Amino acid sequence: MFSDGLFRIEWLLEQGGEILWFILIASFFMWMLIIERYYFLFVLHPIRMQQLIAMWQQRTEHRSWYAHRIREGMIAEISSHLRQFLLLIKALTATLPMLGLLGTVIGMIQVFDSMSVSGAGNTRGFAGGISVALITTMAGLVTALSGLYFSANLDHQVKRAIEQAMDLLR
Amino acid sequence: MFWWVLSTFGVTLFLLGTPVSSWGIGSPETLDQLLEQVRQDSVQEQRLNADREANFLAARDKQKELLRKANADLQAEEQRSKVLKGTFEKNEKVLAEKQTELKDLSGSLGELFSVARQTAHDLLPTVSNSLVLAEFPDRVAVLSTIAESNKLPNIEDLQRLWLSLQEQMTESGKIETFSASVITVGGEVKKQQVSRVGTFTAISEGKYLRYLSEPVAGLVELNRQPASRFLKAAAEFEKAGSGAIVSMAIDPSRGAILSLLVQSPSLRERIDQGGWIGYFTIALGVVALLIALQRFIYLFTIGRRIDAQRHEEIPNEDNPLGRVLSVYTGNKEEDIEALNLKLDEAILKEMPQLERGLPTLAILADVAPLLGLLGTVTGMIKTFQAITMFGTSDPKLMSAGISEALVTTVIGLMVAIPILLIHSALSGKSNRLIQILDEESAAIVAWLAEKKQGLLEKREADVF
Repeated sequence: MFSDGLFRIEWLLEQGGEILWFILIASFFMWMLIIERYYFLFVLHPIRMQQLIAMWQQRTEHRSWYAHRIREGMIAEISSHLRQFLLLIKALTATLPMLGLLGTVIGMIQVFDSMSVSGAGNTRGFAGGISVALITTMAGLVTALSGLYFSANLDHQVKRAIEQAMDLLR
Repeated sequence: MFWWVLSTFGVTLFLLGTPVSSWGIGSPETLDQLLEQVRQDSVQEQRLNADREANFLAARDKQKELLRKANADLQAEEQRSKVLKGTFEKNEKVLAEKQTELKDLSGSLGELFSVARQTAHDLLPTVSNSLVLAEFPDRVAVLSTIAESNKLPNIEDLQRLWLSLQEQMTESGKIETFSASVITVGGEVKKQQVSRVGTFTAISEGKYLRYLSEPVAGLVELNRQPASRFLKAAAEFEKAGSGAIVSMAIDPSRGAILSLLVQSPSLRERIDQGGWIGYFTIALGVVALLIALQRFIYLFTIGRRIDAQRHEEIPNEDNPLGRVLSVYTGNKEEDIEALNLKLDEAILKEMPQLERGLPTLAILADVAPLLGLLGTVTGMIKTFQAITMFGTSDPKLMSAGISEALVTTVIGLMVAIPILLIHSALSGKSNRLIQILDEESAAIVAWLAEKKQGLLEKREADVF
C-alpha cells in the first residue's frame, strides 16, 4: 500500500518533468521557512520579549531622548528579527506559479516538437508534453496557493507582535 | 559574219524543202478510184462495227451471269447470318444463365478475396515496422505479393496470409532473446544478444533499441536513452533467468514514443531556437547574476563587520555602523539636537551604498519575462507569415516560429525566477542592515552616552 503510493509519486514526478523537481524543492524550502517562522513567533519570540521587558523595566527613567532611542532600537531589532525571511517567503509564493508557467511552456515545446517530427496526427506524441504542462501548472498553483495563506497570516501575526512589543515597552 | 549567217539559213531552207509523201501507198488518182476506195472503206467499217457489237453483247451476258451469281451468294449469306444470329442469341442466354450461376456459386468467395487483400494491406505496415522482423526478416515479401497482385489469391496465398497473422499474434505475446546485429550509437554494427518484449520493446546490454525499416532494416541503439529508472529495469530484465518475475517498461506505441525521444533537440539547439531575443535575455541574466554576486559579497562582508561592531564599543571605520558611531565619539560634547542631526546625516550618507544595484536587479527581473513575451509575439508573427505563405496544411513549416515563441518565454522565465529570489534575499539583507543603521545606531549612541554618565551600568550583550 505504502510502496504503491510511493510509486505513484515517482510516476507523477516523471510525468511532470524536471521542472516539477524545482517546484518541489522551492515549495519544500518555502514550507521549511514558514514552519521556522511560526516556531520563532510562538516559541522564541515570547522568551526574547520577556528578557527585553525585564531589561526595559530595570531602567529608572523612560522619558529622556536616550530612553526613546534605546526603545526604538529594541523595537527595530525585534521587528527585524520578526520580519526575517518574510520577504523570501513572499517571493517564493510569487515564484511558484511562475515555475508552473515555465513547466507549461516547456510542456508545450514538447508538444510542438512531436508535432514537427510526426505531424499533427500523432496524438500519442502530444500526451507526454501535455501531461508535463498540466501537472507542473497544477503543482505550481497548488503550492503557491497553500503558501499564500500562511505568508499573509505570518505578515499579520508579525505586525501584531510588533505592536504588542511597542505597547509592552513603555 | 553576215555571209556566214545567210549561208546557214540557206542550208536549213534546203533541208526543209525535201518532199515527203503523206497518204497511203496508193493515193487515188481519179474520182472513180476515190469512190471505189470509199466504198471499200465503208464495207470494212461495217464489218468492224459488227464485230464490236458482238463483243459487247457477249460481255453483257457475262455480267448478267455474274450478277445472278452474286445475288445467289448474298442470299446464301443472309440465310447464314440469320442462323448465326439465332445461335448468338441462344449462346448469350446461356452465358447469362451461366454467369448468374457463377455469381450464385462464388457469392461469398468474392468478398473473401477482397478481405484477404485488405488484410494483407493492413498487416504489411504493422509487420514491416515491427520488432519481430528483426528476428524473421523475410516475412514482408509474402505479404506484399498478396497485397499487390491483381490475380485472385489462391488457397496457398490465403494460407500464408493466415499464417503470417497467426505468427505476428503469437510473437507479440512472447519474450524472446536472440542474436541480431545492432547498430550502436557510434555507428558500428555489432552482433549482440537482443531481448524482445512482444512487439513493444527491444533491449540489448541494458540499452533500449528501436527498429528502423528504412534505409537499412535493422535494430538501432537509441542515442538518447529514457529515464534511469527504465534503464535499471532493462538491465535487471536482461539478467533475469526464465521464470523469474521482473518489472519492465514497454512502449505501448510499438516504438513511436522511443523514436520521438531520439528527435528531441539538445539544449544548445533549443537556445538557438530562441533567436536573438533569447540571447539578449540570457545576456541580461548574466549581467544580473554578476550584479547579484557583487552585491552578495559586499552585503555579506559589511553585515559581518556591522555585527562585529555591535559588540564593540570603539567605532571601527571599516563599516557603516562604525562610521555612524564615530560621529558620536567625535562630537561627545554636542547637545542632543545637534547630535541627532549629525547622526541622521551620517546615516543618509551610508544608505546608497547598501541599496546600490538592488533596483537594477528588480528591473531586470521584471524585464526578462517581458522579453520572453516579446519573443512570443515575434515568434507568432513568423508563424502567421508561414501560414499566409504555405497555409496550415503542414505543421512543420510553422514550427520554427512556434519554437521561437515558446523558447523565448522559457528563457525569460528561467532568467526571471532566480533573479527574483536572489533579489528578495539580497533586499532582505540590505533592509536589515539599513534598519540597524537607522534605528539601532541611535540606540547604541544613547546607550553609550548613558553609560558614560553612569546611568546604566550593565548591558546584556547576549540580548542585543
